[in-house]
Amino acid sequence: MICDCCKKNEAKVQVCDVEQNAVVQQFAICNDCMTLLKRLLFDPATPLIPTSEAVKQVQDMLSSKDKSLTPVEAPGKLTVSDRQPEAVPACPSCGMTLAEFKQRGRFGCAHDYEVFASHIDPLLERIHDVTPPQHRGRLPQGEADESVTGKARELAALRNQLDDAVLAEDYERAAKLRDRIAALAGEVKSKPGKARREGP
Amino acid sequence: MKALPPFNHFPRPLGEWLKGQGPESDIVVSTRVRLARNIKAWPFTLRSSTQQREELLLAVFEALNAIGLDQSVVRLRLNEVPEVYRDVLVERHLISRELASAEGPRAVVFGRGEMLSIMINEEDHLRLQWIKSGFDVDRAFRALVKVDHALERRLPYAVSPKYGYLTACPTNVGTGIRVSVMVHLPALTLKDHVQKVFKAAEKMNHAIRGLYGEGTRAFGDFYQVSNQATLGRSEEEIVESVKAILPKILEYERRMRGQLFSDERPMVEDRIFRALATLKNARMLNVQEMMSHLSLVRLGISLGIINDISLATVNEIFILGQPSHLQREEGREMTPAERDAKRAELVRTRLAAGRN
Ligand SMILES: [Zn+2]
Ligand SMILES: [Zn+2]
Repeated sequence: MICDCCKKNEAKVQVCDVEQNAVVQQFAICNDCMTLLKRLLFDPATPLIPTSEAVKQVQDMLSSKDKSLTPVEAPGKLTVSDRQPEAVPACPSCGMTLAEFKQRGRFGCAHDYEVFASHIDPLLERIHDVTPPQHRGRLPQGEADESVTGKARELAALRNQLDDAVLAEDYERAAKLRDRIAALAGEVKSKPGKARREGP
Repeated sequence: MKALPPFNHFPRPLGEWLKGQGPESDIVVSTRVRLARNIKAWPFTLRSSTQQREELLLAVFEALNAIGLDQSVVRLRLNEVPEVYRDVLVERHLISRELASAEGPRAVVFGRGEMLSIMINEEDHLRLQWIKSGFDVDRAFRALVKVDHALERRLPYAVSPKYGYLTACPTNVGTGIRVSVMVHLPALTLKDHVQKVFKAAEKMNHAIRGLYGEGTRAFGDFYQVSNQATLGRSEEEIVESVKAILPKILEYERRMRGQLFSDERPMVEDRIFRALATLKNARMLNVQEMMSHLSLVRLGISLGIINDISLATVNEIFILGQPSHLQREEGREMTPAERDAKRAELVRTRLAAGRN
């Protein structure tokens, strides 16, 4: 099957939009286009969009020939010497890059500590005057209590699973989780605030 | 000028920490312990969408309800609070300036005595703090840890065995704890020795900075001493290190007060009584003037030169005379000149009423 985005490569992944438990639209995507698509679908900094909308955006990007957005070249073409020696991959979860961290001095998510570990350890040694940088305080005792239920708790669980799915590149699962979050969060947002009685 | 809607969310006129009580209260105004926490399921605030911030607020509110912090606390969504009242919260040390001026869903939850305060969607998802009057690190620490432990059973925090509690800024990672003691150092300031204290504190891995105003000269001679490092030490070690450095600063300030009192008594008395006379009679006072005069009056009370005004009265005026508190009292926005007149009036009436 040919990819629905680039109409060139062979599709490897199926993604779909689900509405009321029924598949409304299905897309076949190649691996290259999937990397672009997941940026749009799972970027925590942007609002959730339907898969069909994301596919359309990827198609637009590819047709606009914006070089920064084209899928990675075939592996054979990229030689080691072409790479920047200090190139560090961006955080797969929040998209934070080392350059942005250096500029802002703030991390985007908890994963950044692992992603940039080799770069931040010397920084932490300096800030906290400790070598090696190793936590010696307490940590939460055991798992958080599961007996409490509620929508927020469910949302938190789904957000965690979505993060895991994106990191594991399990896009099918990620897409499903994303839809469930959208449905649940929709309820959250539309919930009216407490009525307040104003003066006469 | 625009009239302001009423803002009556404070169960008491002022927080417990302004009482002027507690150990070493002649020099130490208050002790604050703060913990930075993030919740695993969401990216840090910097990378959170409006939607995610809203979800997080909901999750934290649910958790607070579950641990009994519902009816007993004041809960404010800051995007529903007018700017001038957000500044009132800053002046009362309940929220940070950053949270006040941020955008999007964010909130503060505070206790009736204004000792506990929880900022939600600050730079970190949660900033928990406990303020006590006087030098009382242990009590503030223990009280705050109780809240933290209760919350961690409901909200899975972002942690790692190597880095501890993960925070947006690398300066807070590890324990996420900041112990800050607010000290009043008028004698060290008068004798120009504050720089020496700064240097000594830095050597011991602690930071000291002016609380109001820029650079080294702090309005009102208030300084904040706090731990610098949060990683590689236990919470108890950090608490102990702050407890260890404070007595040295207190001793230094007292020695300078003693020297002023014995060697330069006429000069000191003159300055203190001139300050008091200004406060009792001025018809216009700007913030800096008010604070520098009050600082001398506070010194006068500590030295026993002034006997008919309490420390609590002076502490209260410091907060009530701040710009946004004045506007809240007046119920409308005011020009700087109007505020200076209102401030002078407040100081005159409070000093007359606060005699003991
Ligand atoms: Zn493709
Ligand atoms: Zn990240």
